[in-house]
Amino acid sequence: MDREALQAAVCQLDSSIRPLEENADRAAVVVEAAALPAILRRLRDEPEFAFAQLLDHVAVDWIDREQFELVYHLYSFKHKHFLFVSVFIPREDPRVPTVCRLYPVAEWQEREVYDLFGVLYEDHPDLRRLFLEDDWIGFPLRKDYQDDFMLDRPR
Amino acid sequence: MGIVTDKLPGALEKVPGGNVLVTRFDEIINWARANSLWPLTFGTSCCAIEMLMATGGPRHDMARFGAEVARPSPRQADLLILAGTIVKRMAPRLRTLYEQMAEPRYVIATGACTISGGPFIYHSYTTVRGADEIIPVDVYVPGCPPRPEQLFHGLLTLQKMIKEGETIREPGVRRKPVISALPEGVTLEDIQGEMKELLVKENVVDVHQAVDKLKWPSGTNDGS
Repeated sequence: MDREALQAAVCQLDSSIRPLEENADRAAVVVEAAALPAILRRLRDEPEFAFAQLLDHVAVDWIDREQFELVYHLYSFKHKHFLFVSVFIPREDPRVPTVCRLYPVAEWQEREVYDLFGVLYEDHPDLRRLFLEDDWIGFPLRKDYQDDFMLDRPR
Repeated sequence: MGIVTDKLPGALEKVPGGNVLVTRFDEIINWARANSLWPLTFGTSCCAIEMLMATGGPRHDMARFGAEVARPSPRQADLLILAGTIVKRMAPRLRTLYEQMAEPRYVIATGACTISGGPFIYHSYTTVRGADEIIPVDVYVPGCPPRPEQLFHGLLTLQKMIKEGETIREPGVRRKPVISALPEGVTLEDIQGEMKELLVKENVVDVHQAVDKLKWPSGTNDGS
């Protein structure tokens, strides 16, 4: 299945899924936050898609749109195809249901995103900081992160 | 006893009966300390791979300076070689390692990241700006990464510092840290030019003379 066919097939799963046209080289779709676990479960279990691997989970801070974009990178060993699943959530109250029941590796990947962006994964079993110290204040990869320790390069 | 009496003329003196009289015990202790350094290698990033791993190899052999027993454990170690970026999360662990080492202990900080934070000093929320924010450093070895020779220069500087430095009469009194770099006024180009001059001077071979010195001169195996 090539990129366009895969993207169209995924969009036919549910009426709330829409294609993400900004991504040019791989199939990418946008889903609603509440529907995310159900859609990922169907993408994992249905033999037509068979996305058995969650390769990576990252976040993007769109500070001008006041949104976080959470990107789930899926890969299928059976069909050898990739899919990006994006979720847009509001920046002031970033909450999303966890997917670590579907993909156990998501437990640490979601902890990393929580550590650096402060996204709250609802129903996550162990949401702690991963890279930074436990008493760290703030989330450093947010675009508006300020710290007295950080130095600006002289111009 | 020959090497001891040669190296320590100020501390050991021969008594006309053939015995040896110890005059200054500091010298002997410092001499022994300086020549039996046991490094604890603390390598976190590229310096450890580029420089520190080469120092144990056959080309740049650290065993020549009596500092061979490099191992990643504070047990019996008295020299901490820091190689690589130190981040905030690693800093308490580094402090623990330093405190587990035996007294007297010395620290060599190698590379830009360890000395000052290096390229991560701006716009970074993690990197500690210099190992001396956490532990006292004796010798700084600049470079990014330093050559293995630079580490040896730092090691020899530290040995010199230990030999001249401490005395058991004033425990805890240390000298100021030093920067192990080329002496002022001498540049790398000077050294390279000197080496080039030497190589040119020593490496001229008169081919005809060399052939005449061979056991079988040319022309014997052409079938004639």
